[in-house]
Amino acid sequence: MTGKFAIRLLLFATLLVAVNYGLDRSFKAFSIHGILNNMMDKQFAEYDGTLAYLTLGNSHNCINTRILENSFNYGSPSESFIQSYYKLKHILEQSGKKPEYLILQADISSFGPKIASRFEYNFYWKKYIDYIELMRIKNDWDILGKWLEGKFFSYAGNYKDIQLSILYRIKMKNIEMYRGFRPHRDFRNFAGEADRQKVAWSKADLILSKEGYFDPAIRVYFEKILQLCQANDIKVLLLRIPMSKEFYEEEIKIVPVDKLYREVEAIASRYPVYVRTYDYHDLFFDHPEYFFDPDHLNVKGSDLFTGKLSEDLARMIN
Amino acid sequence: MLFNSIDYLIFFPVVVALYFAMPVKWRWLLLLLASYFFYMCWKVEYVILIMISTLVDYYVGIKMGQLTSRKKKKPYLILSLLVNLGMLAGFKYLDFFTESTNMLFRELNIDQQWPLFNILLPVGISFYIFQSLSYTIDVYRGSVQPEKHAGKFALYVCFFPQLVAGPIERSNSLLPQILHPLEFDQQRLVSGLKLMLWGFFKKVIIADRLGMFVGKVYENPTEYTGLPVILATVLFAFQLYCDFSGYTDIARGSARILGYDLMINFNRPLIAKSLRDFWNRWHISLTTWFRDYLLYSLPYIKGKKIIIGKLYRNLIITYLIMGLWHGAAWTFVIFGLFHGVLLVVETITEKQRNRFFEFTRINDFPNIKTALGIIITFSILTFSLFFFRANSLKDSLLLLSNAFDFGNFSQSLQGILKDYEVLFGMLMVIFLLVAEYLHEKFNLVMVLSSKHVILRWSVYISFIFFVLLFGVLHKQMFIYFQF
Repeated sequence: MTGKFAIRLLLFATLLVAVNYGLDRSFKAFSIHGILNNMMDKQFAEYDGTLAYLTLGNSHNCINTRILENSFNYGSPSESFIQSYYKLKHILEQSGKKPEYLILQADISSFGPKIASRFEYNFYWKKYIDYIELMRIKNDWDILGKWLEGKFFSYAGNYKDIQLSILYRIKMKNIEMYRGFRPHRDFRNFAGEADRQKVAWSKADLILSKEGYFDPAIRVYFEKILQLCQANDIKVLLLRIPMSKEFYEEEIKIVPVDKLYREVEAIASRYPVYVRTYDYHDLFFDHPEYFFDPDHLNVKGSDLFTGKLSEDLARMIN
Repeated sequence: MLFNSIDYLIFFPVVVALYFAMPVKWRWLLLLLASYFFYMCWKVEYVILIMISTLVDYYVGIKMGQLTSRKKKKPYLILSLLVNLGMLAGFKYLDFFTESTNMLFRELNIDQQWPLFNILLPVGISFYIFQSLSYTIDVYRGSVQPEKHAGKFALYVCFFPQLVAGPIERSNSLLPQILHPLEFDQQRLVSGLKLMLWGFFKKVIIADRLGMFVGKVYENPTEYTGLPVILATVLFAFQLYCDFSGYTDIARGSARILGYDLMINFNRPLIAKSLRDFWNRWHISLTTWFRDYLLYSLPYIKGKKIIIGKLYRNLIITYLIMGLWHGAAWTFVIFGLFHGVLLVVETITEKQRNRFFEFTRINDFPNIKTALGIIITFSILTFSLFFFRANSLKDSLLLLSNAFDFGNFSQSLQGILKDYEVLFGMLMVIFLLVAEYLHEKFNLVMVLSSKHVILRWSVYISFIFFVLLFGVLHKQMFIYFQF
């Protein structure tokens, strides 16, 4: 290799690193998920009230913290039990806060292999997740790539996040968040869909898999959450969020629901901290107008649902 | 190990650095170990199959080299064929034949069902076995001298860039390069990297993006009718091309950096003007393999006379087996048979078609004639892909019948227009076709190389980050790995 070529190579590599750095930083600053998740972290750090209920889960989790008193909604988009475990561990070890109850979203879709392999927004999650441990548990070298992505290449393959960030800025204008809860998207209504069944099928097909209903890694982390709660004496409530009727009909075509529920119950029952499962999946079967899309409640839906949950929790405590 | 994975992005530079840092006489050993490691990342045990094939063909080659007459060499060739094709039959086709026999028994009301073995198909088995077989056949024919160095022969069989999905190299091309390795060449490094980048573009920007839509339709054949079915099949042609030629580009680029030249496997096949033209441009290393080792080995001469009918029969048999080479399923048998029969029809009707073109004066408009040829060939190809892509014969027939049901056309169209991934994928397909056309006309790489360094680097850097940003980076398997 000639000296001139070596210098050119080095210069080119330096340019690549510089552009990569710029893109990585810009993406981290621009991504709406980064902004929302960081805002949630900040609110949690600043929260000094009673923490009776801490809720974890993904975007299905729409518990309105203005309605459910003494609660903090720490769920975030695409969060699975894997992320939830590391977040909870971080909370307990670092924040000095400990909830009385953990409300853990446990929908049909929370357990499948598709959700287990969804590792998005690693630039945010890298501060929580122990990627080496995760790599060992999943027996997948590619997890290391997720850490690398989060650390240096946050933008890589995340064009959808940019699209969403732009859309969010156009549609939402300002970000409203209260104790981790932000009112759900309301610019669309599922009731207005021409073919609700088809839309529901498409969504179910996206997040559920016929190849498995209870992913081994999800099983491990589900137990790890329960073990963590047991060790810290946090009572656990499992929660099935309302879904549209069409979505549930499609879900049960893919997943053996009864079998899944039995297995989940069998695991949870082994831990004395497990209290019960609140099942609201069919609460709004006759109300498509309460949904943003097949599997997300809209503002009205989430308020009504949280009201019902609050009543049931109050009844349980009393 | 997939090319589009972090593993390969670490593995390859390490191998390149070690390779050129090592004394020349030991480089083959490093590549051999690296190649076995590359394969074992997928499944450790199955490397034994490569070793068996290597040992048998090495022994057969040496033995045949000591003999002069073909008659005496024949038992050794048969041994090689039996072992290699036996492994292929056992690991790839056994369950298919068992299942088909069981099906026949059921149809005939025979109370007999044989158990299935559910064997996991060894990745790339059809590729390395064909590569190894080409060596023994060439030695048998006397067109190649047997390789005496066992290690270098082993490297010929399992050279990692082309191990799992080709190109299927010939011993007279790859072995001499292994015997006389090149020193590090900066021009080869640069052009190899460019080729790899183009391959990544085809794979992660186009193939994997289109694959999301195609997969959705083909995995749920009862859910789609009309436009989405036709569009998915048309897009599958591009997905398949970009996936496989993308792999080939990355393989050729990797090999080029290491100092090896692999054969060109694709020559813009989707603009072929006839079916024969298509097969001269598509997966060239496989079609030439079948031409050289099967098609003309089947009997078609009586005395000194060529029997045309037998030649046509051989063509159909060859394409039928080529279809089956792609996968152990009836869908692939039909795919191969369809192409074989149409190639015969195309040959038989050549004069009539020429007369038709003269009569209609289409010959006076060569561009129209070319466009017509491309459209017809592409349509035929797309039709055959209904069988190639579907999970079963039942699915392919269902999709075929659904394809012409346009009951909800406007709703389907709206759905597609809302799917930005599909639209973006189609835009990238257009970009690819234009880029390939321009490259053939002007050699874009050369044109770019002659430009000022700022412009040149800007293009490269933009392209790299375009691939990184808009790539579907979820470690999608290459389609041809399953073959």
